[in-house]
Amino acid sequence: MAMTLQRRLVDWSLVGLLIVMPALVLRASLSRGEPSGMDRALLRITAPLEAGVTWVVGGLGGIWSRYVALVDVEGENRELRAENDELRKQLATMSRRAFDATALEDLAVVKRQTPADTVGARVIGAPLSPQFRVLRIRIDRGDKDVAPGMPVIVGTGPVGRIDKVYSDYADVTLISDPASSIEVVVPRTGGRGMLTGLGRPDSYACAIEWLERQAKPEDRIKVGDEVVTSGLGASFPPGLVVGKVSKVARDDGMFQQVEVEPAVDVSRVRTALVLLAPLPPVDPDAKTKKRSEPAFGGRAL
Amino acid sequence: MRTATIVLVAYVLCVFVAAAWRLVAFGPIYDAVPDLGALTAAYLGLTARRGVASAVGGSVLLGYFIDLISGAPPGLCALVLGLACLVARGVQQRIYVRGTAMTMAFSAFVALVAAIVALAIRALYHVPRASWSIELRHAALVTIATAVIGPLVWRVFKRIDAAYARTHRERDAALEGLAP
Repeated sequence: MAMTLQRRLVDWSLVGLLIVMPALVLRASLSRGEPSGMDRALLRITAPLEAGVTWVVGGLGGIWSRYVALVDVEGENRELRAENDELRKQLATMSRRAFDATALEDLAVVKRQTPADTVGARVIGAPLSPQFRVLRIRIDRGDKDVAPGMPVIVGTGPVGRIDKVYSDYADVTLISDPASSIEVVVPRTGGRGMLTGLGRPDSYACAIEWLERQAKPEDRIKVGDEVVTSGLGASFPPGLVVGKVSKVARDDGMFQQVEVEPAVDVSRVRTALVLLAPLPPVDPDAKTKKRSEPAFGGRAL
Repeated sequence: MRTATIVLVAYVLCVFVAAAWRLVAFGPIYDAVPDLGALTAAYLGLTARRGVASAVGGSVLLGYFIDLISGAPPGLCALVLGLACLVARGVQQRIYVRGTAMTMAFSAFVALVAAIVALAIRALYHVPRASWSIELRHAALVTIATAVIGPLVWRVFKRIDAAYARTHRERDAALEGLAP
């Protein structure tokens, strides 16, 4: 029992000493204000362990933040992609509308300048050749509005003529088709001719055959000369720019043969004007006659 | 030897938790690192059977190490953990820590006692501190964090005690949380 009591005394004495020691150390450290030599030595010993643990944990944290936490980023990325797709669709729609608006503005200008009855039409189809060349276009006007042979134009020039008419739509033969023919004139030289399509699979090139060859060399057709409709044949209004001479194929005898690159890019035509009647003749009573008679079959007005 | 092992493991755990806590914690306990030192001191005090001196000595040593790595004035944590060990020793005969809920509650109690003792010592020694509201809020958050992590740490210490058991009976008692 005495031993037990003695052991307890020693034990509690040690406890007291152990409690007093840190109190003294605390007081000393507060009065000193900087680590003691023993503190520094212990820090030096324990620093590698702390650095190692921090390195491992930092590495794991980096893996977490760079890879595992990317789950949220993936979801966010998916949302952004969907939003991007939606915005691209909207942009494409807006671009198409802007293009249509521009085309309609051009058409409105042409309509004002054309002294003939016209009707607007939208292109609803365009069969392509294997070279992705538009062979003909289809418009949304049927037999109630248009008739075969009626000219089709856009702001930049002639497109072609209506070939076949169905109940709700009509096919237009392009000026580049071999079956097409338009009376044209070269304003610089005054030479007249008939523009026909060459029907090439990879271009919209046309040709003017039997173009009168002028006597003076400077009056002959050259590459780059502008070609416009002559207004003869009572179909296309005069002065519509058909295109430019791209090649002089034959330049001998009485006639020249040239190739013309059309001004109208038919692959991009989305709206067009159909001329319902031929141009009115010069008439002193034009002020009283507002409308011309239909020239291409009957139509409902 | 057992006390030395617990102190060493507790020190490594302190270093690890101090580095890793910000990665796993979220919300208000993000800045409140669990008081593993107080948990260790309480375990040593609670499981001290014959000699209290070794338990207090281990607690003071661990507190001193924590002072060094935490940047606190050397002696502050050592004194706090020594006293926390004595408090745990004082309740040894009155409380039986068993089960997760009880362990969490006791861990919270120990952390709260350690925080109050630390505040008192800092006031006594005129150690600079923040406003009372901030200090009390931080103490509350540390208490919660310590309670959350307490059962895990407790289990580690029980395993260490079981490893040092000389008989199966001692081993079972250690795993049950009884004093070795």
